[in-house]
Amino acid sequence: MDRRNFLKILGSGVAGAATGNLLTPGRTLAKETPSAKEFYGILVDTTRCIGCRRCELGCAEVNGLPVPDISESKNENLLKTIRKTSDTQYTIINRYETEKGKIFVPKRCMHCNQPGCVAACLVKAMRKRPSGQVTWDLNCIGCRLCMISCPFDIPKFEYNKAIPRIQKCNLCYDRYNNGVLPACVEVCPTQALMFGSRKQILEEGKRRIAANPDKYIEHIYGEYEVGGTSHLYLSSVPFEQIGFRKDLGTVAYPKYSTGFLYAVPFIFVLWPIVMLGINRATKKSKEDEEHHEEKEKH
Amino acid sequence: MAGEKLETVEIVKEKGESPNIKNLGDFWNFLKKELVPRGHIATPFNIISLPIMLLGYVFIVLRLAYGLGKPVTNLNQEYPWGLWIGFDVVTGVAFAGGAYVLCFIVYVLRAEKYHPIIRATVLNGFLAYLFYAGAIVLDIGRWWNIYNPMIGNNFGVNAVMFLVAWHFFLYMLAALVEFSPTIAEWLGMKRLRKILGAMTLGAVIFGITLSTLHQSGLGALMMMAKSKIHPLWYTDFIPILYFVSSIFAGLSLVIFEGSISHKVFGHQLDEAHHKHYDDILVGLARICAVTMFGYLFLKAILLVHEHAVPYLNSAMGFWYLFEVIGFILIPCLMFISGAQQKNTATIKFAAILTMVGIILNRLNYTFIVYNWYVPLSEKYWPAPMELIITASIILTEVWVFRWMVNRMPVLRKPPAWAIEKH
Amino acid sequence: MEELFTYYDMFATKGVEYLIILAFLIVILAFWKFVNMKPH
Ligand code: SF4
Ligand code: SF4
Repeated sequence: MDRRNFLKILGSGVAGAATGNLLTPGRTLAKETPSAKEFYGILVDTTRCIGCRRCELGCAEVNGLPVPDISESKNENLLKTIRKTSDTQYTIINRYETEKGKIFVPKRCMHCNQPGCVAACLVKAMRKRPSGQVTWDLNCIGCRLCMISCPFDIPKFEYNKAIPRIQKCNLCYDRYNNGVLPACVEVCPTQALMFGSRKQILEEGKRRIAANPDKYIEHIYGEYEVGGTSHLYLSSVPFEQIGFRKDLGTVAYPKYSTGFLYAVPFIFVLWPIVMLGINRATKKSKEDEEHHEEKEKH
Repeated sequence: MAGEKLETVEIVKEKGESPNIKNLGDFWNFLKKELVPRGHIATPFNIISLPIMLLGYVFIVLRLAYGLGKPVTNLNQEYPWGLWIGFDVVTGVAFAGGAYVLCFIVYVLRAEKYHPIIRATVLNGFLAYLFYAGAIVLDIGRWWNIYNPMIGNNFGVNAVMFLVAWHFFLYMLAALVEFSPTIAEWLGMKRLRKILGAMTLGAVIFGITLSTLHQSGLGALMMMAKSKIHPLWYTDFIPILYFVSSIFAGLSLVIFEGSISHKVFGHQLDEAHHKHYDDILVGLARICAVTMFGYLFLKAILLVHEHAVPYLNSAMGFWYLFEVIGFILIPCLMFISGAQQKNTATIKFAAILTMVGIILNRLNYTFIVYNWYVPLSEKYWPAPMELIITASIILTEVWVFRWMVNRMPVLRKPPAWAIEKH
Repeated sequence: MEELFTYYDMFATKGVEYLIILAFLIVILAFWKFVNMKPH
């Protein structure tokens, strides 16, 4: 690659994208606004989920993952333990015993508005698409900092492959581009999952809570958590009872690394100046120097 | 020149003379000659280290063939980073910090006193980056893509890791330039020696700036693990703590490495140097003590600032106090008393304690207090193969260091034609 | 309902900043030579 190209790419790295990403303030003002209106996500109504695990099946089928056995007897056994997503399962159903009985909760990537995983990635393999999906790409170097930086522990690494990948839900990005619903939403028999723009699903969530204040608690998980997420959850019991962390705060995760990242350019300018100055100040006086130089020449 | 007396029987190199290299053929012949081992081969160190190194290389092949997880490492979805990042890279880089601190003292502040140890320290720093930071290739899952952030596929300018990667790369270049006059002297290239010597100050200043940023950058990598690191350790100021601790970590390694080198390579040094050396140690001990003193107060301020005081009275709190008191406060006091009594044994012991403390601190962030709420039975613990590969990397570095010190004017006086000025 | 959230990339300008630093590091060399020039 020649130098001009190199600089150009670094420059366009600025625009968030060698691929023509739209997520920049300049463009935001000028053209489309990739604000939450265009971020798509899923409203998960945990009061409607019956724990049939059909979404797990649908997800595995479209993403080429090992197909799970979702027979009823199997489910009964499997749901006894709380599981986590893994490198072969983008989405899973957990069952929690709560004050209001058994509640089933789907768990997958939250597609954060300001994702920690994206801010962590040094090659932009993790990207927030203008339509909201957080996707992974093959230029990944496998440093696994995205796993460390995700507040929900979502990205998973294939530890037992010579050619490993990071595995996580991508909100069926390809299907979205073809105008098809995400697999899990399509197969859900009870409409526990609702796909739509973040604005739509947020409104729908609030409408359901307002219409049924006895059924739901007045909190949509993901509205403000970690700066907002594109997956939103409704619940009938406080969220800590169904496996959600309440201590994550509302600050967008990339904010935590701004302290360092914003200081870097300053130090890069100040340090050389300060050190050149000190080096000059400690220089021997002129006579000394001449003396020294004479010795040099001998 | 004094150079004459320095060589012992073991070192066969022509005394004070430099090879006369005119073309590539000459260079090749010279290199072939230099690659031949010197001295005794069957030393206890060689007999112990060689099998470990070879075993490590075999395991590296296993790692490449079977992937990063079991059986080679115990890494899992809960603990993405283990010994290789925590010890080899993060701790190794902190230990290599001695190079930039001493460069600052010698080249920027012009404290000539420390000049005799600068070459060995810079060499050590350079090799540490090359090997320990180089170990990152093993830890990176998709290692064949490692150059992606360099060639713009893509420039993740949003990422701390992006800066750390570039800084590692650039710092290695800067350290190489800092050390290169020694190589030029070894090869007897007088003109090159002059050009490279003129570049030293620039490389030093660039190197110190880069070091400041990536020493702290390694801490900044953990910033988004806010919900996973115990509140006693997590603070907004992790980068600054990493930077400050790299100063005394690096100097402690200089003290430790120096005391070993002086035993092993002592015959390369003249009387004056030996006498001077204790003075240098005392000076380094003072610098360490002062920095650690400041670091302790930073820790205390952050404890209050982060509202973390109540956690002190818990199992994690005791672990925290163990680290801070046992491996910062105590070695700090030992450095002071050692410096006052000019007792180098105390200073060396304090240096070892400090190093253990730094290892603990860095491993705390990468896996010990990372995900601290995970039950003990599910915690990450380095696998045997991980440990052996790490040991083999360290030993390889020691071998290369030894090879270079025995052949290049690192500890001994440079050839007469290249007496330095500053 | 009013939209409460607008996306912005908080690191969008970093690339340009790093380019400026690159320029700075090159220019400072010449500048330092100039500052320390001996009068003839
Ligand atoms: S939940 Fe984790 S993986 Fe998903 S977008 Fe947020 S930070 Fe990234
Ligand atoms: S593992 Fe891959 S996707 Fe994750 S941060 Fe590293 S390079 Fe990016």
